[in-house]
Amino acid sequence: MTVVSHREPTGVIAALSGSALHDEPAFTVLDEESKREIRRALLHAVCAPGYQVPFGSREMPVARGWGSGGLQITLAIIGSSDTVKVIDQGDDEGVNAVNLRRLVTASTGCEETTEVSEATVVQTRHRIPEDELTSQHTLVLQVPVPEPLRGIERDMRELSRMHAESDYSRMWVSLYEDKVRNGVITQTTGYPCLVNERYVIATTPIPRWDIPRLHNAEFLSLFGAGREKRVYAIPPHTVVEPLTFEDIPFEIEQNENTHCRLCGSNSSFLVQSPSQDDNWSCSDTAWCRARRTK
Amino acid sequence: MELSSSDTTLLKVQDLNKSFILHNIDGRTIQVLHDLRFSINAGEHVALAGTSGAGKSTLLRILFQTYSTSTGSILFKLASGEWVDLTHLTDSEIVAIRGREIGYVSQFLRAQPRRSVIDLVTRAGISRGLDNNDAREQAQMTLEKLHIGKPLWEVHTSVLSGGEKQRVNIAAGLISPPRLLLLDEPISALDPENRTLALELIQELTLNGVAVLAVFHDLDAIEQVSHRIIAMEKGRIVQEGPTNTLLPLLRKGYINS
Amino acid sequence: MTGIFVPEPVVQVRNLGKVYGPFSDETISRTGSSFGSARDAVTGSIVAAWDISFDVQPGEALGIVGESGSGKSTVLRCIAGDVEATTGDIRLANVDEGKVNILDFDASRRRRLRIDQLSVVYQDPAEGLSLGITAGGNIADPLTAAGWRNYSAIRTRAKELLTRTEVPIDRIDDLVRTFSGGMRQRVQIARALANNPGVILLDEPTTGLDASVASGVLDLIRSLLEELNIAAIVVSHDFRVIEMLTERCLVMHHGRIVENTLTDQLLEDPQHPYSQKLIAAART
Repeated sequence: MTVVSHREPTGVIAALSGSALHDEPAFTVLDEESKREIRRALLHAVCAPGYQVPFGSREMPVARGWGSGGLQITLAIIGSSDTVKVIDQGDDEGVNAVNLRRLVTASTGCEETTEVSEATVVQTRHRIPEDELTSQHTLVLQVPVPEPLRGIERDMRELSRMHAESDYSRMWVSLYEDKVRNGVITQTTGYPCLVNERYVIATTPIPRWDIPRLHNAEFLSLFGAGREKRVYAIPPHTVVEPLTFEDIPFEIEQNENTHCRLCGSNSSFLVQSPSQDDNWSCSDTAWCRARRTK
Repeated sequence: MELSSSDTTLLKVQDLNKSFILHNIDGRTIQVLHDLRFSINAGEHVALAGTSGAGKSTLLRILFQTYSTSTGSILFKLASGEWVDLTHLTDSEIVAIRGREIGYVSQFLRAQPRRSVIDLVTRAGISRGLDNNDAREQAQMTLEKLHIGKPLWEVHTSVLSGGEKQRVNIAAGLISPPRLLLLDEPISALDPENRTLALELIQELTLNGVAVLAVFHDLDAIEQVSHRIIAMEKGRIVQEGPTNTLLPLLRKGYINS
Repeated sequence: MTGIFVPEPVVQVRNLGKVYGPFSDETISRTGSSFGSARDAVTGSIVAAWDISFDVQPGEALGIVGESGSGKSTVLRCIAGDVEATTGDIRLANVDEGKVNILDFDASRRRRLRIDQLSVVYQDPAEGLSLGITAGGNIADPLTAAGWRNYSAIRTRAKELLTRTEVPIDRIDDLVRTFSGGMRQRVQIARALANNPGVILLDEPTTGLDASVASGVLDLIRSLLEELNIAAIVVSHDFRVIEMLTERCLVMHHGRIVENTLTDQLLEDPQHPYSQKLIAAART
């Protein structure tokens, strides 16, 4: 019998085994048993990249559809020695982001930040931050609809079968139809990707711009859908390929002639605000601010 | 009657009987062919003569196995030299030898209405083993010989006249001919000029070694192309002999039973 | 054994049977053509098909003819995998060299056969097509299932097939729902041929179509069968279809084969009393 030397688990394993948990929180949003169950589900998810693992989704102090899944993942893996960043559409100061961040810090005793470099867990709806994410980071994504085939098939057993048999032909047909009807493959958010050459996932709600960041990443990505009660994962250094025909390149939204009106960047994901004339600005507000203050 | 047998014999019919059992009428049995015995050699044209109802068409159909045999044997010599009994072959074997070894040309053209003339004849050639190009070339040649000219080639067979259809039917039957050809009144709808053309082609068959067993209504046609006559009456063979011997008797209406 | 060359069969079916409900040897012996019913009066079980054996050669079309309730469609569906057979042995030449019984495959493997080994053309095109997607999309389906990933290549192949089935190419992007019955059937045929399967099953392919439309579709099927050297099984109650498309055929009655013969022989010299009745009725 070999003796396994005891080492402190690091990175992914540490995050998922909850061994980083030390101090008592101010109040409980999610009890420890629930957190363990979620971590077990997440371990399954990491072992089968892209596979949607069902979990016992609890009632959260945020409404369903507002990030309860992402919140449960973050609560399950975060500890008092962690630092959390929460963004909504790239913005740390949106009402939902602020709300979620407070819930996390108050119930777990962890630190908070708006700087990626200081964070260990980044929870997000709709964006991957512009700054580089490394192996110190875990990205938690809020997903409203985890099932990429949802528009194509309603029957649960058939969906199960399609994933189990890797029978994605109907997805391909829907991409074909999309191209025929619209001239381009238009699924602008929630673009389906093949993970680890095995499962197709919904990347909702991040834009195409962010999809290449998932491929062969240094960081772990965890996707949580509270209402649908599913989690799935992309471990670091996993192949992630957006579904497209080999003669139709996957294109990211490109705004060649627009710049952020605040920092001047044209290499970040830009969004429009309706109230201004020259109205393009960086989606990632923290990143934009950092550029301006340098 | 002795069966003529030589190196060139390719069909030997022995003690052939055919009955139909009419299950849905009253279960009665009707015997239409009795104890037929004869043979045919390669390069020989044998005419079947007799009044209607004598069993001539029935015999042709049995030889092609469109009718099943009741008793008796139909021995056929394949191109390989092997003798087989058609009554003992499996359906798949019959399908395999039809067309290439044994062919049947009926009185009427049975084709899909939208098939073009050239297509029909070309396809027949292909089914006999010709490649696409050869088949098409020979189809064109055969049609020309029957005076079905180029303007008609792309036409759908459904729009042809009765005589034209029959000539197309002959072309399809004769292209790359099988070793034994069964003809059932193939020129009945042709006018004299076209009949002559058709008979010329049919005569050529035997010159090329094809064995032919034919039913013609027309005694002149029989005289022109056949070497031997088998006369039938009420499902039996009543007389058999060289054409120049039997034909005058037929013309006079004398047939010995 | 003669020296006549008959190629190895592409489809070999032995003792195929489908029974609904519990059954024993007695059930089998209490049903069938001579008993006038496929239903066992004692147990209520239905012997939809029993003791079905036949071969299909490459490039050959075999007909299965019978009235409704004869079991002919059941046989087709058992081969297709739409219905689970009760017993039997079915081998396909292109699947493990014809050495395995495909009825032993699990559902997922049977499904994969339908991608490029075995296609079905159903009587109702809606069963073999997705009405809510385009004609091209319906053809893209089996192609992508077979691994095609190049959009232009898929389009080219779809256009090729639609041309061959005489569907106007400018309708490639129309939803199948907007097509007439005859056109839908042509699209179904095009889709069935997408991956060049070795075997195609046709279940009443022209039933329900107007006469002139049916004749065009029949014409098409016949040319395709001649051209493609594909093995086909054609199920129909209509003798004109059987006559036009097949060289050999089976007659089924109350779940059993009552005659297995050359098609022209069946039409002109039927042997079994039931066959004679069918042919006589068809001739009126």
